[in-house]
Amino acid sequence: MRVPFEWLCELTGIEASVDDVATRLTNAGFEVGAIHRAGEHWDRIVVGEVARIDSHPNADRLNLPTVNTGSEEIQVVCGAWNFEVGDRIAFAPAGARLWDPYADEPVLKELKPTRIRGVVSRGMLCSTKELGISDDHEGILVLDPDAPLGRPLAEALGGEVLEFELKANRPDALSVLGIAREAAALYGAEVRSPIPDERPSEDGSSRPVELSIDDPALCARYSAALVHDVKVGESPAWMRDRLEQAGVRPISTIVDATNYVMLELGQPLHAFDWETVRGGFIGVRTPRPGERLVTLDGQDRELTPETLCIVDAKGPVALAGVMGGLDTEVTDKTSTVLLESATFDPISIRRTAHRLNLRSEASRRFEKGLPPELTVLALRRCVQVIEEIGAGRGEFLTADAYPAPSDPTPVSLAFDRIERLMGVAYDRSEVRQALSALEFGLEEDGDELCVTPPFWRRDVSAPADVVEEVARLVGYERIPDTLPTGQVMDVAPGEIDERDDEARDVMAGLGFAECVTYALTSEARMARLVPPDLLDASPDAPLGDADAWAAVRETAMNDAGRTLTDRLLPLDREPLRLRNPLSMEENALRLTGLGTMLETLRANRRHADRDLLLFDYQPSFLARDGDLPEEPNFLTAVIGERVSADRWNETGTVELPFVRGVVDELLARSGVPTDQASHDDLQHPTFAAGAAAAVTVEGRLLAAYGEVDAEVAAAFDLDERAWALLVDMPAVRAASSGAPSFSAWSEYPSALRDLAIIVDAEVTQAEVQETIQRAGRPLLQSARLFDEYRGEQIPAGKRSLAYALSYAAPDRTLTDKQADRAHNRVVRALQHRLGAELRG
Amino acid sequence: MQKQLDALLDAARAELAAAADNAALEQWRVTHLGRRSEVTGLLRSVGSLAREERRAAGQAANAARRDLEAAFEARQAELRRSADGAQVDVTMPGYPVRLGSLHPLTRTLREIRRVLAPLGFRAVSGPEVEWDRYNFELLNIPADHPARDMWDTFHIHDKARPGELLLRTHTSPVQARVMEQIQPPVRVIVPGKVYRYEDRSAKNEAEFMQVEGLAIDEHITMADLRGTLTHFVRMMFGPDRELRIRASYFPFTEPSAEADMSCHACGGKGCSVCGGTGWIEILGSGMVHPKVLADVGYDPDVYQGFAFGMGVERIAMLKYGVTDIRSFYRNDLRFLRQLR
Ligand SMILES: [Zn+2]
Repeated sequence: MRVPFEWLCELTGIEASVDDVATRLTNAGFEVGAIHRAGEHWDRIVVGEVARIDSHPNADRLNLPTVNTGSEEIQVVCGAWNFEVGDRIAFAPAGARLWDPYADEPVLKELKPTRIRGVVSRGMLCSTKELGISDDHEGILVLDPDAPLGRPLAEALGGEVLEFELKANRPDALSVLGIAREAAALYGAEVRSPIPDERPSEDGSSRPVELSIDDPALCARYSAALVHDVKVGESPAWMRDRLEQAGVRPISTIVDATNYVMLELGQPLHAFDWETVRGGFIGVRTPRPGERLVTLDGQDRELTPETLCIVDAKGPVALAGVMGGLDTEVTDKTSTVLLESATFDPISIRRTAHRLNLRSEASRRFEKGLPPELTVLALRRCVQVIEEIGAGRGEFLTADAYPAPSDPTPVSLAFDRIERLMGVAYDRSEVRQALSALEFGLEEDGDELCVTPPFWRRDVSAPADVVEEVARLVGYERIPDTLPTGQVMDVAPGEIDERDDEARDVMAGLGFAECVTYALTSEARMARLVPPDLLDASPDAPLGDADAWAAVRETAMNDAGRTLTDRLLPLDREPLRLRNPLSMEENALRLTGLGTMLETLRANRRHADRDLLLFDYQPSFLARDGDLPEEPNFLTAVIGERVSADRWNETGTVELPFVRGVVDELLARSGVPTDQASHDDLQHPTFAAGAAAAVTVEGRLLAAYGEVDAEVAAAFDLDERAWALLVDMPAVRAASSGAPSFSAWSEYPSALRDLAIIVDAEVTQAEVQETIQRAGRPLLQSARLFDEYRGEQIPAGKRSLAYALSYAAPDRTLTDKQADRAHNRVVRALQHRLGAELRG
Repeated sequence: MQKQLDALLDAARAELAAAADNAALEQWRVTHLGRRSEVTGLLRSVGSLAREERRAAGQAANAARRDLEAAFEARQAELRRSADGAQVDVTMPGYPVRLGSLHPLTRTLREIRRVLAPLGFRAVSGPEVEWDRYNFELLNIPADHPARDMWDTFHIHDKARPGELLLRTHTSPVQARVMEQIQPPVRVIVPGKVYRYEDRSAKNEAEFMQVEGLAIDEHITMADLRGTLTHFVRMMFGPDRELRIRASYFPFTEPSAEADMSCHACGGKGCSVCGGTGWIEILGSGMVHPKVLADVGYDPDVYQGFAFGMGVERIAMLKYGVTDIRSFYRNDLRFLRQLR
């Protein structure tokens, strides 16, 4: 809300500077977002008079006004026509600086002499937008005829405008008077109310207006005043200036007067051409079936049953509080006007305005809930203003329907309640002074205080509200700094697991950069995680349908792949979709972070060719029927093809064991030792065949990792290999054995034996390892794989594995013979159980 | 014997200094530290001395041997360094170290938690997809209340319960969730992602992180709120920071306050960071509204307390000098490495 500073001063008599007033109001809860200083940049702009208007020889749309600046006459080329010879206007000679009305951002541009269609223009007649007064760029600003010729415009028109950031709880603050009341209270000044007293001459005997309110819950009060001998025309300059400074476009006398009073008092008013209202009747009700209304914007609207309407004897004439009807609009032929001043139900107005997308200055005020007491005051003021500007002659109140009057409810509280809440003591005199300054009624009964808010403060209804009034008026700077004392909590429901921090630390320690990605994504992005032809997807259903997925599960996955799809990569589920997405690129909540992470990998690949190790640890969203979705924290990591090796420029290629190393470390650090997890072949269309594994503990899937399928990588615009790791951290937690436990090792020297065997290629490392471990008991301490070989030196269909074995006894140094015996048992077991041959 | 040792050491050192290559060095080692060296001989001869001399002589001989060993190693290193006459270039860059990084938002969140933990605040979390009831109604924002305009909301399609599922617009619903589950004292902070139906720009994100604070007990006051916030800004932005609170409006607090801190970039004189005002708006806060307390079953005549909420990106932007909020979600490694 924009409040011209001189208007505020007029209602309060405050003489403080605009900055001081802005600061004090801001601290008291009326935040001044900006102070606009009209004229700040008008260093060379002056009041000029149009001396002559010639037509442009080469262009019909342009004219050639000559401007008298008091000292010289200057001809310019102009595209606007809303002025006449003799009008005073804001004139900018060449060299002046103006706001560029066509720029997106506010930009000052120096005006230069220009040739327009063959005629030189040595200046400009300014619009309000070029002057930075308002956004209105239609036509140039015509000044008051009394504006002093040749004087700087800043002197004739300047002034500061305070722009307040609105709060939802104070409808009274949506008015100059409301702000003035606050300012007056803060400065100890008197409010100079602009509302005139009632006129005794009106006895209400002649009542040609019949009013009817169907439901007082939807319209608490409806007051009306007739204005006769209406003259619709241009309002005087002082009124137009104030309206423009407040951001409202002047239109014509009657409309301007209603807007002026709305700005001043906060009560929206509507003017009907009384001759067009049928039957001398005004009613407030919801529409009957089939009723329609052509509104001011020319739209023929069918009225839904919940739309509150103003009707005459025949039918709807306005949408209550939202927009008037075209047929009853005030025009320059109007001679009698009915002014409407009413209190509508805030919720009804809000719903209608939202539904029709017709939010206005008026509806915004109704939405916040206006006091019924205000209607008659606003009518009086409006009639007075109309008479003052010579636009008609009226009655202060012609008719008034107020079926169920209600008074503000007093609030009682103990004086010490204020200290108890604020943590600082206030003198009783301070409390009285603060509340009186805000025009609250006060009664005291010992230590009890009974406060009656003024009618415009219906937001004050509880003791805490009263405490706030006292605290903010005395000033928050009175509040000291203390720290909370007392007990702390024994349990914190939903406490964040510290192991989440540890998981992040482990990943960072393993070389991964943590990413924080958007939870909003698109189904199309997630659909790119499977090769396109697989799902037979359509643009409407990019993630395919149940039948397609049933087939994919059957043909493109093994058991591990199906288990992965059940939860950790649940691409066959319906994602949660937004009803109002910002764009189709982010119309759903993610089922997996993998799509976004592959995009992030690709984006970083543009500037880095190695060490692309990224992880993300944010929830995915899995819908549940009739409940909030599950939001499991899944860890998603992606790895680019190349990683740094020793020395400066050497790189290695990521292979499956690289990712396995990461998995083992992360799981071990999360309480799942490497030897407890089993890694099995994973077939899933997101991953390359034969290069992916699923990690389970007792059948429960903890993680999946592998090379990203080449087609999928290509769908993310990656033309080299990429690796992915998905970890179900909640499942890891569940499988965790808790804190690691200590087991003693032998203090005696170990006997080391290397072992290289050749086995069938189908024999897994896990089988070999298990055989070694079993046969080596109890002396075998460890068996570390140090090489794998397939190739010319061994038969086809076979591979060679080499291990370093370490033997030791807990209570003595092993002799060579004892170690050999143990080792031979291992060798024999490998030969016997796995058909292994010793190599070399 | 000490004299003998001193002479021996002097001679050995002189010879060592003259040893110019590995062969000479090895020759020296055999001569002076080998089995047949003088020192070894002296050590062996200790046994033949009188009992009262043995101890001192043994120690002296051992010390001499250690001296020689140290001198040998030093000379060996010296020779290695000047091998081929090439000096090591200490300005060569180190080999690439593959150490990852935590996201700046994670680091900022941890710092916030670390600052508030000693005051008894425990970090809890709650769902990002919420019911309208928790996001609005239990926070004293009924349906069709104009205060709803303060939060542009993403709604979620839900055939079973239309209009009820949404993406939380603030972390405040977790206040109600915590209070429903336990009786005071309550002292929690709630970090987490929130969502606003707003076009993304350098200043506004549709998704961002908030931290909510809540303290409820019998005697927690607005002064306690102010003290907590002052402590917070000083721990986060330096001991010279001043806090200013001013009246404001939030439906779930009464009285409400917005908090500004004196600008950490200019110390309050006014600069581009603070828009020339010397103050930086940092969070919203207030005393929990009695209606909010009553709605979760707390007696507002017995219990009271404060709540505050801040944007984590905003804190991080101020701390690291980041000017575009979207940088946090682009995850460009150059950004992540800079702020690691
Ligand atoms: Zn500054």
